[in-house]
Amino acid sequence: MKKILLLSAEVPPYTIWAEVLTQKGYRVEIFPEIQEAGERVFFSLPDMILVSEGLHPELVKDLIFALKCDLSLASLPILLIVDPEKLPRIDWHEYFVDDFICEGASSEEVISRVKLALLRAERLADNNPLTGLPGNTSILRKIEEVIHDDGEWAVGYVDLDNFKPFNDAYGFSRGDEVIRMLARLLVNTVEFYAGPKGFVGHIGGDDFVFIVPLDVADKVAQEVIQKFDQLVLNFVDPEDRERGCLLTTDRQGVLCRIPWPSVSIAIVPVWAGRFKHYGEVAAVAAQLKHYVKKVPGSTYLIDRRKEERP
Amino acid sequence: MIDDKRREVKKKLRTLKGLPTLPPIVAKLTRMIGDETVSAPQIAAVIERDQVLTSKVLRLVNSAFYGFPRRISTVSNAIVLLGFNVIRTLVITASIFEMMQSRDVGLWEHSLGVAAVSGILARDLGLENPEEVATAGLLHDLGKVVERASLVEDYKKIQEKVRNEGVTWREAEQEILHMDHAEIGGYLLNRWNLPERLVEPVASHHELKKARRFKVETAVVQLADILVRARGFGYSGDPWVPEPEEKALKLVGLDEKKLEVLLPQMEVKFYELKFFTEEIREALLEKNPAT
Ligand SMILES: [Fe+2]
Ligand SMILES: [Fe+2]
Repeated sequence: MKKILLLSAEVPPYTIWAEVLTQKGYRVEIFPEIQEAGERVFFSLPDMILVSEGLHPELVKDLIFALKCDLSLASLPILLIVDPEKLPRIDWHEYFVDDFICEGASSEEVISRVKLALLRAERLADNNPLTGLPGNTSILRKIEEVIHDDGEWAVGYVDLDNFKPFNDAYGFSRGDEVIRMLARLLVNTVEFYAGPKGFVGHIGGDDFVFIVPLDVADKVAQEVIQKFDQLVLNFVDPEDRERGCLLTTDRQGVLCRIPWPSVSIAIVPVWAGRFKHYGEVAAVAAQLKHYVKKVPGSTYLIDRRKEERP
Repeated sequence: MIDDKRREVKKKLRTLKGLPTLPPIVAKLTRMIGDETVSAPQIAAVIERDQVLTSKVLRLVNSAFYGFPRRISTVSNAIVLLGFNVIRTLVITASIFEMMQSRDVGLWEHSLGVAAVSGILARDLGLENPEEVATAGLLHDLGKVVERASLVEDYKKIQEKVRNEGVTWREAEQEILHMDHAEIGGYLLNRWNLPERLVEPVASHHELKKARRFKVETAVVQLADILVRARGFGYSGDPWVPEPEEKALKLVGLDEKKLEVLLPQMEVKFYELKFFTEEIREALLEKNPAT
């Protein structure tokens, strides 16, 4: 059942909208207090938010901004309910919403808008179910976009070392936790250094891609590495942390001492005319990965060959 | 035995909507968040000085949505994982105490002091993560904030009992709530999926034997609590300084000689904290001259 959060006063027409949406099989919760709703959104994520601008114009703007800027929430549809008389004065650049509904809208209109927005979100999303991050179609599209762009970009390929033995030792669900941790770390670091220009995608398993302007690429990689090494300790049992390694048995049944996961990043700089096709970026990344993987512990490598540069 | 009072209190705790915090802290954070030159670590440093916001941030990062329950025990790690925008939203939607008493600031100062001293003791012992033990210290009396904010009638009764009968806060709690603030705090932190390394020291700080896995951390928090009370930094509900448990002193290895070395370090911390707490106290008085 799709969950809709309605942030509005608890009076008609909103109560009526809530009722008809409930009849259509949606689970609707009304929050007249935006403070409460703000907390609620993060503690239990809805499938859609309808928010009345008149409830608290400043806070509403803030809340929408915060939600839409979180790269792993960006696909959550948000519909703004507005007073039709205010429409000419609304600057849509300030509202990162997907659609709007006028205050006087009929129940039929509300239902249709909601349905349509949910459908649109589904069509656009190839998001990874584990991390909520965009998947391969979006990654491909995004890389194509930057190789044909005039600016200088960096495409970073991220993966984990010693992830398989970690899964073997602690089980898959612990492995999933580490993947989600890495996803959040990438999202927040990229967001911090690149803002809305940044991109993070999840190829699958422990493979991720990020795209940032070239001049912040080193910083992003360094910070991800440093923070990952710190955070990963929370996912290692205290006994193993004390010993300094994990113990697993290999196929021959021999006891092995294995370090816990570390992160490798291969960064491919992209500028206008360097690559024609997405596959060429991946090929350079594969070469870099070959070297990165030889270094123990968390590291990154950036391809500094610039001879072909105009 | 079925205990109706305990059941009633626990039911209230389960439906708790969210804890309010000190208005000046929220105001300060809101100001910082609006200022583009302020960095995430600076904001973390202020959040770490408030037990309610800290518990909120930890609750969020350990919630099912993020998918690593009971893993994250420090604000700095939480902020890296939640990101600036989420922190921002938490702050702008934080609820505040409408009616403040200067007592509320006293409890909050007490908690800050205990956090600082817990950190010092943990570092001295060479524990692996002193920051985490300091966080447990910060949260140790969260149960008292809950009483103050959500069990208002009982809170008044406890207050009166302490005043009129000269009993300790804990004794009054036992009589009126049939449980103490340590149990309340532990119960909530556990419900909120916080790591056991935080839950246990909070839940057991007045009864070391209740701690199973994190005895040393629990002993650290107990002694920090006593040291801060003895020093008279802040106010935690009653004027009595409890006796430390033998076992706690032994686990921490705290004797006169060690105290002599550590006390000056603590004084430095108290001195630093005073700048912050006075700033908050003044801001509060400006708005609320009656308190
Ligand atoms: Fe206590
Ligand atoms: Fe205390």
